[in-house]
Amino acid sequence: MIDINAVISMMMNNQVDIPLLQPLLKPMLEMPLVGYLIALVLWKPFFVLILMPGFATLGIMLLILPWIERKMVGRMQWRVGPREISPHTRGIIQLLADSLRFLFQEVIIHKDAHRSYFLQFPFLYFIPVLLPLLFINAGTAGNPLVPIVSDYGLQLMVALICLMPVFILGVGWASNNRFAFIGTVREAFLYFAYEIPFIIVVLAMIVLYGTSNTVGVVNAQSGVWWGIIQNPLAALTFFIAMVMATARLPFEIPEADQEVSFGPFVEYSGIAFGLAYVMGYEKMYVLSALMTMLFLGGGSGPVIPGLGELSYAIWFVLKTLIVLVVMANLRGVYPRYRLDQALKIGWGAMLILALVAVAWSLVMGVIL
Amino acid sequence: MEEYKNANMRIINSGPLAPFRKWASKWSLWPCHFITSCCGVELAHAFAAGYDGERLGTLNMGISRQSNYIIIEGTITRKMARALQFVWGQMPDPKFVNVIGACGERGGIFWNSYNITHPSDIVPVDFFIPGCPITPEALLRGVRATQDKIVGIDRKTIEFKRVELPFEKQLEERMVPTSPKLFAPTPLIKVDVKREVDWGKELEDNLKNKLEGLYESITITGKSSIAIKTTQENLKEVAQKLREQMKLDHVKSVNVIEVPHERKFIVEYIISSYTEEELMPVLVTVFVEIGLKDPKIESLTSIWESANYSEREMHEFFGVLFDGNKGMGKKFILAPDTPDLPLRKEFKIPEERYVFEKDMPLDELMVPIEPPKDLYIPISEEFIEEAYDNDEIVVPIGPHHAGSGHLRVTFRIKGDIIVEAIPEPGFVHRSMEKLAENRLYIQNVPLFERLAINDPVNMNLGYVRTLENALGIEVPERAQYLRTIMAELSRIEAFYYDSGIFSLFFGHTTGFMYSMAIREMVIEVLMGMTGSRSGPSFLVPGGIRRDISDDVLKLTDNLTFAIHKRMKKFEDIFVYNPVTIARAKGVGVLTKADAIRCGIVGPFLRASGVNYDIRKIAPYEAYDKLDWEVTTGDDGDCLGRFLGRLAEIKESVRIIKQAVDAVRSIKGPILSADILGEYKEAASDIKGNFFRVFGNLVLPKGEWTTITEAGRGTLLFSIISDGESNVPYRVRVISPCWMNLRGFMEALKGARYADFWAVYGSFGYFPPEADR
Amino acid sequence: MKKVATPEYDIKDKLKYHVSALSTAAKEVVMPLNITTHYPRERRKWPDCFRGYILFDPERCISCFECSFVCPANAIWMKEAPSGRYYPTLDYGKCIFCHFCVDSCPGGALRSTKIHDVAYKNMDEMFTHTEEMIEPPEIIREDEGYVEYEIDKEDLTLKRTKGKDKLIVDVAPSQGVPMVSLCIDRGSCIACKVCEKVCESGAVSSLLDEAKMIIKMKIDSEKCTGCGLCVKECSMQILRLVRRE
Repeated sequence: MIDINAVISMMMNNQVDIPLLQPLLKPMLEMPLVGYLIALVLWKPFFVLILMPGFATLGIMLLILPWIERKMVGRMQWRVGPREISPHTRGIIQLLADSLRFLFQEVIIHKDAHRSYFLQFPFLYFIPVLLPLLFINAGTAGNPLVPIVSDYGLQLMVALICLMPVFILGVGWASNNRFAFIGTVREAFLYFAYEIPFIIVVLAMIVLYGTSNTVGVVNAQSGVWWGIIQNPLAALTFFIAMVMATARLPFEIPEADQEVSFGPFVEYSGIAFGLAYVMGYEKMYVLSALMTMLFLGGGSGPVIPGLGELSYAIWFVLKTLIVLVVMANLRGVYPRYRLDQALKIGWGAMLILALVAVAWSLVMGVIL
Repeated sequence: MEEYKNANMRIINSGPLAPFRKWASKWSLWPCHFITSCCGVELAHAFAAGYDGERLGTLNMGISRQSNYIIIEGTITRKMARALQFVWGQMPDPKFVNVIGACGERGGIFWNSYNITHPSDIVPVDFFIPGCPITPEALLRGVRATQDKIVGIDRKTIEFKRVELPFEKQLEERMVPTSPKLFAPTPLIKVDVKREVDWGKELEDNLKNKLEGLYESITITGKSSIAIKTTQENLKEVAQKLREQMKLDHVKSVNVIEVPHERKFIVEYIISSYTEEELMPVLVTVFVEIGLKDPKIESLTSIWESANYSEREMHEFFGVLFDGNKGMGKKFILAPDTPDLPLRKEFKIPEERYVFEKDMPLDELMVPIEPPKDLYIPISEEFIEEAYDNDEIVVPIGPHHAGSGHLRVTFRIKGDIIVEAIPEPGFVHRSMEKLAENRLYIQNVPLFERLAINDPVNMNLGYVRTLENALGIEVPERAQYLRTIMAELSRIEAFYYDSGIFSLFFGHTTGFMYSMAIREMVIEVLMGMTGSRSGPSFLVPGGIRRDISDDVLKLTDNLTFAIHKRMKKFEDIFVYNPVTIARAKGVGVLTKADAIRCGIVGPFLRASGVNYDIRKIAPYEAYDKLDWEVTTGDDGDCLGRFLGRLAEIKESVRIIKQAVDAVRSIKGPILSADILGEYKEAASDIKGNFFRVFGNLVLPKGEWTTITEAGRGTLLFSIISDGESNVPYRVRVISPCWMNLRGFMEALKGARYADFWAVYGSFGYFPPEADR
Repeated sequence: MKKVATPEYDIKDKLKYHVSALSTAAKEVVMPLNITTHYPRERRKWPDCFRGYILFDPERCISCFECSFVCPANAIWMKEAPSGRYYPTLDYGKCIFCHFCVDSCPGGALRSTKIHDVAYKNMDEMFTHTEEMIEPPEIIREDEGYVEYEIDKEDLTLKRTKGKDKLIVDVAPSQGVPMVSLCIDRGSCIACKVCEKVCESGAVSSLLDEAKMIIKMKIDSEKCTGCGLCVKECSMQILRLVRRE
């Protein structure tokens, strides 16, 4: 029998502190059911995982990010991007219309596809996307906002992120299409090309910070000593690996629509495609969050008066957004590499950079 | 068809969530990227920087599965009809279809072609948009109309006001005039009509010496053209000798002329040289006459590889067997349900009519065509088996593929390396050669312009120059300069279209948008001159249709300065982007020898190191009076081809600048007095006298071949006239892209799978131009 | 002859090009050289010579069939009006807007407008009868302004003006060279009466000469509009179209 009071008091002891809302929340917390609910929502692990920067923020990002991307790339291209749907707000609800349309459209499962896997994989993809957020630290030095404190937090995150391509491979396999097949093989090739430098870079940061606990990682970046300043090479390599991992241009090789017609997702339609389409953005979000935590000081930033600990989460999301926007805008700047060239970059330049980054970390560790 | 349309609307209107369905569908019409013909050029503009269809929530999406909207761009040929059926079937419900361009409606200028179908018989079409090509605004009007339809607004986009005509019977039974076309029933067809010109004595003697005993006659047929008549048996030997001893190293055209009343075929090869400087402008015609029954001739592919695809084409059109060519007996351009041997005279296409008969039902306006029923993919089981046995996979690409255009190429890929690429052109084969045989000379001006709607003036110029050469008309100086300006503007247009596609193939949408933006500027100028965005039809034999005002010339002059700013941006972001360089450099190399062997033309030939530009070797219009240079390169790779063309465009801008300066000081007529005859008032504007001046042109007897340097290379028109009819007896068009197809496939060998798009883009392959 | 060579790019060049590509993109995000026309809320202003939908003026038509003959797409068919004269109809399902017909019209009965953005629900509507071509049609106008492309020596700029662009251009109808039909060889006439039957204006008449029992044809040059149909149809080819003095 769970002692409900013990649970509540556990949650009450670990609340997100928002001074502005405190007078409003206090009477509500004393109410029976509403109180429990608010206690749950403001319970730090729940808050981080579900609200910010977790699931809810991810959902909003998925609706807003493609819009930002389309608008900014449009601007770069001497045009305007989505607009007429809501002229006064510059078409911000465009993605809502697109996703609703996907939702209402027929889902075609062609007869050669593996029916159950074909439908399951886009949904299952949420598992490796959401689980890394369990270890994310959206707080700042000395003030962690983290669902689960674990000494192996980073390793677990990396392991889960490395699981993502498996689902894309599954999607491609279940599609049973020539282009899906080629795209999947491309994804598999790229997977190894970026994953190794990626893991080595994270290793470099673990060496540098001397811990793989996400709380410790953020603590090690106090003040302006963000990871990007402590080890810029690692940050660069991480960024390139991230672009590659999310198949953004110039490494949009597995999904190249002119070459392999969206590769693994070629047979998807309706909401199934909608889910497959956002897979890339989900991964981008998780990786950007990881980058923010590893290199951009987590949620560190000036405290916004009245928001207390919430301001850390806001800073964290903002930084993540900046990384996302930079990554998304590469679409307007670069064409795509060929597979063999990307592999060369992955196994050559990036691997070397990653190893140098480890050496840098070792040296920095000795000096400091 | 109606029930499909209604079914779509039923889905949208069903359920309690109908308002959301409507709203979402309205603002999220994603057209699938199903480019079918030349209106695709204007589609590109509608979704590029100039109009930006994305504003309306209409995002062009590559794949049928994810889209809910097809914009059919113009002609649906019999081959493409199958793809259309298939693509439409692949799309999830609810889905909508718009047809743009007259060809997709009642056939437009190709209304009586043997190879087109009506999209409305194949898929349920929601809206038809008139125009040829349509304007981007019209396309977006179609999108708006579809949006309105989805939310249930039913209104007409155009409302005509009826004005009753006066009702007094003034005239009794009247005779309806007959067709203006005159066909000579049994004309004498001669390819080698002797003409007295001050040229070629030496060459003639030389040829006579070398071909001693192998020829029947050698005739000089005009300035820099000579015809050799030989026999079926000697043909190969003659070809061998010409190839080896005269260095005539490529075939410009393979042509078959059927003369049914004399029961013979004339098979001719027009050859020329890329290596011997004096022979470069010379067109040597080698022809034989063979009987109508079981026509058979030895293939010359072993001597001139460049004849390969043209021989296959002629085999398909006429049934002449080129013995030794591997493609005999196979379908190449035509679909299985296209009538057999369509270019033979006995195959008749529907006749024009000029009178709307009283109470005629409107559905009779269309030429009835059966829609196709099967899916036709000419890849045999054995081919796939063989590939699998060799550990290769077979990947067919196109015609519906985000990066294929209207072409199907079947690859055999080993690992990532292309072992073999088999092209399948003909998805936009609109049978121009057959149609031209049934139309007045002047009516063929817009017809041949539709070869390449993104390079319209050069296409015009090629045809019009052929007529002028035949009629012996000198174009007035002012018109010459104006035509040069327009041709060069058109060349810039062609390049920026191709570069846009090139960047799109690399996934670089910004490069595409920038290219299209620059095109939009050029189009603005060209539209000021001609009144049409991409289908000017402005050049006529003897000059141009009307004079161009100084305001427009000033605009043109400004363009030559203003264009550089945006060109620089395009170069910064795309051309010299390290990724572009990595993708294009050293890829798809065609050596000089290979380029000559495959008969590559134009800038692509020059990129392989051959200094061959018709504007220099046989100058026409005002090119010899202006200061400009030919650009060549040595690399012969994708980057070389692309940069070569870019440098050429900069020369074009220079040409335009000089020509505009020159033309301002030249006053005078823009139409030659020779052609105007008594309509001298029309010398600066043809308005009001067009048909009377041009309607009844008759070309002198003989074959008239003219080569022109179009945006993508040599454009060859070969008109055979009988000297009596006011329609051509036969027109042979060899477009640059058609000649480049062989080299394109050659450059693919050994490349990687992803290099296909680099090579494709670098060749600027434009299927409507190739398929004709 | 200009040689274009593609050099080997070393790491320094590559870095330079990376920077220039990125900086161009960044510049465009901050200060874009936007050229978008917000159709349907605004339209591009086409030049006056733009070739769009065609209007017809029956007053000026001489029923010469030339528009129909010259049409490359065979989109113009002549239809008999109640008065017995033939006037053009236009099938926009075929029309390619080359305006050969407008340029051919000797009386200036056809003229161009700047209407071009139309979508039809079915193809039957695309067939435009003579009666519908006389008055300018009304199209859906959602535009509140128009855009002009202005190209100066620096760059292309967009000039936006409020108000509706006029789509019907006022240009004086052009007139072809006035012609008249003339018989050059009366002796060869076989009196087949084709010229009389084909004449739109009633200028050709036949007279039976009772005495000689032959039919004489007569062309009234006052009535003759110079449409040239009799010249075209004459079975003996003895008629000529000559300039009206």
